[in-house]
Amino acid sequence: MYTKTILLKDTNYGTEDKTKEFYTLLLNILREDNLHEQVQVVRAADVGVYNQGFVVKILPDNIFYANLKNEDVKRIVDETVKNGRIVDALLLKKEVKQLRIVLRNCGEIDPESIDEYMEAGGYQALKKSLFELGPEKVIEEMKKSGLRGRGGAGYPTWMKWNFTRGVKSKEKFVICNADEGDPGAYMDRSVLESDPHSVIEGLVIAAFVVGASKGYFYIRAEYPLAVERIQKAIAQAYEYGLLGKEILGSQFSLDLDIRLGAGAFVCGEETALIASIEGKRGTPRPRPPYPSVRGLWDKPTVINNVETLANVPYVIAKGGEYFARVGTQTSKGTKVFAVTGKVKNSGLVEVPMGITLREIVYDIGGGTFSGKELKAVQTGGPSGGVIPAEFLDTPVDYENLQKLGSIMGSGGMIVMDTDDCMVDIAKFYLKFCVEESCGKCPPCRIGGFQLLGILNKISEGQGTLEDLNTLKRISFAMQKASLCGLGQTASNPVISTLRYFEDEYKEHILNKKCAAKKCTHLLNFKILQDKCKRCGVCMKNCASLAISGSKEEGYTIDPAKCTKCERCFEVCKFKAVVKE
Amino acid sequence: MKKLTREDLDKKAQAQKERSQDWIKVGLSTCGIAAGAQEVFNVLAEEVKKRNIPVEVKKCGCLGMCYAEPLVEVHIEGLPAVIYGRVNKDAAIKILEKHVCGKMLVNDYIFDMEEIKR
Repeated sequence: MYTKTILLKDTNYGTEDKTKEFYTLLLNILREDNLHEQVQVVRAADVGVYNQGFVVKILPDNIFYANLKNEDVKRIVDETVKNGRIVDALLLKKEVKQLRIVLRNCGEIDPESIDEYMEAGGYQALKKSLFELGPEKVIEEMKKSGLRGRGGAGYPTWMKWNFTRGVKSKEKFVICNADEGDPGAYMDRSVLESDPHSVIEGLVIAAFVVGASKGYFYIRAEYPLAVERIQKAIAQAYEYGLLGKEILGSQFSLDLDIRLGAGAFVCGEETALIASIEGKRGTPRPRPPYPSVRGLWDKPTVINNVETLANVPYVIAKGGEYFARVGTQTSKGTKVFAVTGKVKNSGLVEVPMGITLREIVYDIGGGTFSGKELKAVQTGGPSGGVIPAEFLDTPVDYENLQKLGSIMGSGGMIVMDTDDCMVDIAKFYLKFCVEESCGKCPPCRIGGFQLLGILNKISEGQGTLEDLNTLKRISFAMQKASLCGLGQTASNPVISTLRYFEDEYKEHILNKKCAAKKCTHLLNFKILQDKCKRCGVCMKNCASLAISGSKEEGYTIDPAKCTKCERCFEVCKFKAVVKE
Repeated sequence: MKKLTREDLDKKAQAQKERSQDWIKVGLSTCGIAAGAQEVFNVLAEEVKKRNIPVEVKKCGCLGMCYAEPLVEVHIEGLPAVIYGRVNKDAAIKILEKHVCGKMLVNDYIFDMEEIKR
């Protein structure tokens, strides 16, 4: 039996992976010292640090050495493995950046087992709320915690609850908003799939506080597994008497039900969501009255996001003050981000508020996978904006992101490198919003369409400098005059890319150039004769017959016929087709 | 099923100590399943049964390391707990044979992330 384990990895990327050589070296040294039967050496696939050269980690002592040269290996074996002494000069001190509160059970428990959730301390917060605290004190704890809505707007959760609690009504409702629609964001899906009971528990506590007797999960139908697991979880909770009549023997009763959303983005907006649950067409209505006063079927309604509700049991179980120990002055607790795009480690991260974007992208995400320079980070989905690389050291919280012209949003974070064109990005998000606009109010319906037209013009090289002013004017009008959040924020990607990357727009307009080579209309396709192997695949694939030539003479592209569909570029195995 | 009372809830919270010490967990949420975790889970469950290996194969949700799915976490008494990433059918068998039965860690699949340890 081994007494020690050594994990090793060559963490430099961009160069050839030398893990195997290093493995042999370490193994040989251990053999010389006759230690190979006590120490097992294992090649790891990833050790969570990047560009730190050869890294070893000695278990169970948990000693991390980095930037090792070949000669250091002998020293480590002599000092640490044999004598248990730590070599300070080689030691890598790594701070753990993540803090898991919402994701506390994700990947830990079986999501389909209510028993495992209870073993992890589940439903204790509900018990505490029902029998120890009572509604008033729960609100007090929530106030102390400083928890703000994680759906995007960041409205204090206790205030929402307090409003609804204060309204006199025979019937009240609670709704869990699981209509997650931002492209690239999937935090809510993961929480629902991995820890459904924590969301249910949060919703039951909310219902108890405001005095609601009926609750709904509004989940988009595109999340079949999340729906299935929530369904199972609700059934289990009913069986155990954690839902239904007289929960845990108290006076409080609550019924929960699921409503499926058909995938319209606007239904994430609370008034549109309510209309959708009522069976009407999912369009927003002007606020006030807010749903906390007049919501579902004109009754007071609390609507909370999945992540907000998953925080609630933790807040109640640990106390509001304990929750508020992490975060910034105005934003407490943690936030889950779905880090995607050109980042090495894409996935979910949960970090304390106030962490910098750089820490998220580089320390946790491992930087860009292409090794290219990071250009910007997009947060907040189609309602958010881009944050250029120079602001990477900004602490992340609701206010700071807003100052930079973006928003926290639900937690999508898309990393972009120099291969991304900002005009193209603005176009992508705007197109999403134009397609998803419900069409009820003209600023959103017409404004979005017009903005998209201008962006298309610019990306095709037909833009004028006057267009930039028009973009700004229409965007401003949409922000001011749209009915709901979708229209008010739809122009944010345009405004923020214009704010930070106006030069790039001008480059498209004046020089008809797209540096990132994304706007195909501004590119010319060419075949490099010295790289071309004369296979003819490009000609066979060209739908517009723009490529001519033969195996003997080689091939050329006729720019007049080329529609810039990129097909030849994609099919050429020898990288002989280039975009300029 | 009998409805729970307050006291039952506390009993439930204490129950975990009786569970078996050796287990394998496969991340089965959408990100994992899309990468092939269901197949890995099935292979592990079948082989454990077929070969009569005393280890519990469980499912769990998403650890957040979606780039490394399918993820398989293995906890065997006497060995460090590790997470294997990008596990396919063959790697799953290797994990069973080498790690669970042979008490040796498997090369090239370990994702050792301080970040997600609790």
